[in-house]
Amino acid sequence: MKPLAISLAALLVLTAQICAETLRINGSTTVNLPVAESAEILRAEQKMDIQVDTQGGSSGGISMLGDGLVQIGMSSKPVSAEDRAKYPSVQFNEVHVGEDAVALIVSKDVWDGGVRSLTKQQLKEIYEGRITNWKELGGKPQRIAFFNKEPGRGTWEVFVHWVYGSPAAAPKVSFPEVGGNEETRNKVASTRGALSQLSSSWADGKKVFALALKGDDGVPVAPITENIATRKYPLSRPLFLLTKGEPQGAVKVFVDFLLSERGQDLVKKHGYLRLKDLVK
Amino acid sequence: MTRTLSWFFSMLALAAMLLLLGIFAWQSIPVWQHDGTRYLTGVKWFFRSREFGALPMIYGSLVVSFIALIVAAPLGFGAAICTAEYLPRPARLAVKVLIELLAGVPSVVYGLLGILLLRDWIYDVFARFEPLNGDTLLTAGILLAVMVLPTLVTLGDDALRGVPAAQRRAARALGLTRAETLISVTLPQAARGFGSALLLGFGRTLGETIAVFLVVGRQDNNLPEHWLSVNKWLESGQTITSKLGSSETNIAYGDPLHWAAIAGLGLILLAMTGAAAFLGTSFGKRSDA
Repeated sequence: MKPLAISLAALLVLTAQICAETLRINGSTTVNLPVAESAEILRAEQKMDIQVDTQGGSSGGISMLGDGLVQIGMSSKPVSAEDRAKYPSVQFNEVHVGEDAVALIVSKDVWDGGVRSLTKQQLKEIYEGRITNWKELGGKPQRIAFFNKEPGRGTWEVFVHWVYGSPAAAPKVSFPEVGGNEETRNKVASTRGALSQLSSSWADGKKVFALALKGDDGVPVAPITENIATRKYPLSRPLFLLTKGEPQGAVKVFVDFLLSERGQDLVKKHGYLRLKDLVK
Repeated sequence: MTRTLSWFFSMLALAAMLLLLGIFAWQSIPVWQHDGTRYLTGVKWFFRSREFGALPMIYGSLVVSFIALIVAAPLGFGAAICTAEYLPRPARLAVKVLIELLAGVPSVVYGLLGILLLRDWIYDVFARFEPLNGDTLLTAGILLAVMVLPTLVTLGDDALRGVPAAQRRAARALGLTRAETLISVTLPQAARGFGSALLLGFGRTLGETIAVFLVVGRQDNNLPEHWLSVNKWLESGQTITSKLGSSETNIAYGDPLHWAAIAGLGLILLAMTGAAAFLGTSFGKRSDA
């Protein structure tokens, strides 16, 4: 009986140790791309045990970090005052790792129909249901199938910040909702007359196409690297790794890797802007 | 001893169920205080302005389940009649095994198949009605029909096998054909079992989450003018489960009222599936008496 107890105890200690060493990361599907690849590299080179997940997008990253379920959160929006108020005991630390733009993407039939740019006013009217057909925007007659990013996603928040000033000021509307980036891209690609918000790096220009946005001067600005870097394109957003307080141990190793030359190259590889690309 | 133990474990099961209901009821108290029964009858859900009306989601759940049963019942019971009454024993076993295998396929696999095949099919077949996209209540309903089929076949088959063989022999001896025996002797006696299968299937479709989540479109507040109107069937909708599976649960956590509204949805769902299962079980039992 005694050896059994001892081996059980040993097993328990061992499991606890393994669990303690697992670095858990959760959050935005946008930030996930370079993070997942960094995790891959660190697993191979440093034998680190890392789990990366994308439950609930940025809000999921923030709340799971707040609840202590993960050690690093991924977010494509800053941690808001309300989030900090929800977790008063948690010191959210934002590590800026890159920059991304939110594109308004359309399906091929819309793009081929001649719609290449939108103004803020037009977006507003689509969002409020006053424009429902592409022909009102210079395209072919086809109902606009708008897919809204679900609330809590960084993409959605960037969009309403630009159009309405803040999420609280956004009108109360109900559209079919989409979650992660893959889902958004697939649904827009397979639906006629589709429009949605999507991280610009996912707009491949083959199945889904990024519209340019027209400012007050009427000049269309496309979500391309130079426009994002100079912040001429209005819908850009910072990408963050979130930690509790200053990063330490495995968390620090991971954060430092993503900020290193190699890590930043991964950020660029997935279509985002490196920190050094940004025009301060 | 056995008697005591069986009582103990029955009570344990009951206590677990009551505890579950209790937790959800307790967690949802703020929303009942805030909205009262308007929480159940309200037609608008906008959490940012603290409006919590669950009716569109209750509607969505009922409609997808209804569509699923309408589609699956003739197929499922037809298959049950075929396997129980017509197929020779080895073939019957083979069919049963295959159908029960269907029940073991994880629901996310069904969901992905739904995305791959069903949503485009619905989008094209119903193109003349101009659905905005392929994610509709109908898509979710048909997908659920496939998923609930094994339940209906298995329970329907059991109901038919429960009818004593002596009665069939007696009917045949009186000169009734096989079909006549089925219609006037076997089916009336299996009717309760079929009803019970439908109710249990209903509980299953109400509770299915991930497959529905992937193809239902998740559009809030899409309630038709009339309950019987089918216009909304070809539009995106929201079920209780797809709402619970969405990222809104992450936002809700930490905000007592919003969280209560989410927990309240859990309570409603639990009550609905519980009622379906309870009715289904008690309904079926009396057929043996």
